[in-house]
Amino acid sequence: MMEKEKLRKADFFSGIVISLFGAWIVKEAFKMPMKDSWGGVQNVWFVSPALFPLFVGGVIMILGAILSRTAWKNVGRREITRVVGWLLSRNNLEFLCSAPTIRYYAIVTLFLSFVYMNIPRIDFFVGSVLFLSVFITMFYFDDDRILKKLFFFYLGGVAVLLAYFAAGIDSSLESTVPYPSDVLALCFWAAYSLYAWAQVRRSPALRKRYRTGMIIALAAPFIVLPIFKYFLLVPMPTEGLVVALLDKVWYLDF
Amino acid sequence: MVVLDRIVFYFQTVIQIASDPMNLVILFASVILGIVFGAMPGLTSTLGVALLTAMTYGMGPATAMVCLLAIYVGGTYGGSYSSILINIPGTAASAATALDGYPLACKGEGGRAIGLTTTTSAIGTVISMLFLVSVSPVISYFALQFTSFEFFLLAFFGILISGTLTSPDLVIKGWIAGFLGLFMACVGRDLLQFYPRFTFGFSEMDSGIEVVPVLIGAFGIPQIIQVLKERFQIGEAQKFQRILPEFGTVVRNIPNVVRSALIGVGIGAVPGIGEDIAAWVSYGAAKNMSKHPERFGKGEYAAVLATETANNACVGGAMIPLLNLGIPGSPPAAMLLGALMLHGVTPGPMITFEHPNFIIEVAAILLLASMSMWVVGMLLAKQVVKVLRIPPPLFMPIIGVLCIIGSYSLGINVFNLYLMVPVGIVSYFLTEMGYPIAPLVIGVILGPMADENLRRALMVSQGSFLPIFTRPVSLLLFLIIVWTVVGQFRFFRRFKDRMVNRLLRRKSCESDVEASKPGEELKS
Repeated sequence: MMEKEKLRKADFFSGIVISLFGAWIVKEAFKMPMKDSWGGVQNVWFVSPALFPLFVGGVIMILGAILSRTAWKNVGRREITRVVGWLLSRNNLEFLCSAPTIRYYAIVTLFLSFVYMNIPRIDFFVGSVLFLSVFITMFYFDDDRILKKLFFFYLGGVAVLLAYFAAGIDSSLESTVPYPSDVLALCFWAAYSLYAWAQVRRSPALRKRYRTGMIIALAAPFIVLPIFKYFLLVPMPTEGLVVALLDKVWYLDF
Repeated sequence: MVVLDRIVFYFQTVIQIASDPMNLVILFASVILGIVFGAMPGLTSTLGVALLTAMTYGMGPATAMVCLLAIYVGGTYGGSYSSILINIPGTAASAATALDGYPLACKGEGGRAIGLTTTTSAIGTVISMLFLVSVSPVISYFALQFTSFEFFLLAFFGILISGTLTSPDLVIKGWIAGFLGLFMACVGRDLLQFYPRFTFGFSEMDSGIEVVPVLIGAFGIPQIIQVLKERFQIGEAQKFQRILPEFGTVVRNIPNVVRSALIGVGIGAVPGIGEDIAAWVSYGAAKNMSKHPERFGKGEYAAVLATETANNACVGGAMIPLLNLGIPGSPPAAMLLGALMLHGVTPGPMITFEHPNFIIEVAAILLLASMSMWVVGMLLAKQVVKVLRIPPPLFMPIIGVLCIIGSYSLGINVFNLYLMVPVGIVSYFLTEMGYPIAPLVIGVILGPMADENLRRALMVSQGSFLPIFTRPVSLLLFLIIVWTVVGQFRFFRRFKDRMVNRLLRRKSCESDVEASKPGEELKS
């Protein structure tokens, strides 16, 4: 959590956002049937599906406004103006490029790319190994310079995968090559692993961390995911190359 | 005779659960896992319960409850390890324990402190279990008299009180979080007319927002971001000697144990309030009642005993509103509510009719969980403490994968993941800005109850709000809500202070007048 003074400044802006959000809820609720008929039922205001959203939206709007007012009274106009000035200045850029913020970007990018790009398209085991390898190596080395390099390398790989999926190459390749997306993801993982190794090869301590991290990244999915797949009978979101191999081993299907 | 039958049935249930080897394996494994989750700074018992819910998918409701209650009990207790040994609370519930636990460990008495927390945590759980069994029929009886207005006001009260008490900054932020949760509950087709609300044309959103992915996202992802972004480091653990049960210290402190357990049960029963508040309140009470309050903060056994009894007593306390009213008493209890619904058990006043033995089963599981926690604590504490050596960048990514597979496997729906990630990111920002997460989750859970009951009540009364003022329970709840809200405003506090001062002044004037008339007494 932020310091109290910073919190009050942030409260002013968050209060406005929340108030606007409440206003949007109210606006959307007014589009719902209030007194007209819906599904053959003539509505009255107290049965309307809009009643509760109106109440919730209205309260959110008021509470947001009160929060902003409280923050305004606490910090004053001059401080708020100073914050707005800071937001538009170069100092803000420095904050956006600071080490903790880059760490935040790295975590969020990893989650977003894994959930929205890899999970629906790439074998879940391959995706998990890639996610864990990148995640562990980025943070376990505990070096912001390396983290930055690894993060940008990963971003490059994500851009390639994104272009590959957006262009629809995966569907056109599928008819000729088995599991083309999984193979591409595995290539990406191999390239990332080599790049990460190149970054740490001169430091024995980091080399040890690299080995530990990679072992965990490879072992964890093969311990956790089979429990879901074979014991709890939960089909993986996408089953491809590795799941097919595991199925063959599990069901002795040779 | 009925009471005797219930007691016999209770012990039969305990024996029945304990006689199944599979149940015992699950019980001990879950307790150990809970202790690990509690002990590891950055992981919480709520997250443990959330992640394990996915694993109970194929189990029966009773076995699932063995698993989830055991991890809840173990997680609440496990936080004391890191509090005592490295001065970093494993969970918020054990933050108060660190104040006196760590100085004890520094004096070389860490083993004694852990032994004491193990015993008092078990006692706290057992006392709360006794309350659960004895209070539940009474609450259930009253809850059956409730109408829709009462349920609406109860849900509303739950969100407000949770927002009021859990907010780390301004109370209004807690309320905002609660109402954001209520908004999330509005998403999907409404329960009375099936009108799609805030679905944006996505058919996946027609059934509404699933509670479990929201819970996992709201509690798991912010935790991962915070720990890794702030480069959280676990310190070197203090060495400790043999762990003994410390029965002597417990016996010498019986009033402290009972008081702390009562505080824990009471606070646990308040909707949405977690173990952390119980531990702090109990710590304060123990300090106030102590003959040596100056020793608190320097390594006082009574302090460690009070906090650990209270936070574990919260477990049973949180079960009371959860099982009887369908209102979770704490964040892990909110997770349990989701798990129970997944297994076809709908908590609420009807639970005694639909599943007559369920509350007894829960009580029996709580007893077994506290016993197994005690055994594990006494025998395996030294081994469990080794997990504190694992650096967060190694285990946090694995927790990330578990969050993802856990959210997905409940409903086998990738859309849950699309929902979980934004909820997690928004929750992170809310946490950073001092908004509590518990009211948001309580809002998501109680939203459908509030919405449905408000409209049903108005349908019955033909749009009139008058029944709120004519029904005693409604009126009481309404007045409490008004008091909770108005009590936060400065003008009301000033008015209250002025009234209190005036009353005090009048009393002192009266006593002065009486004191200045000594002859009257003689005359009479």
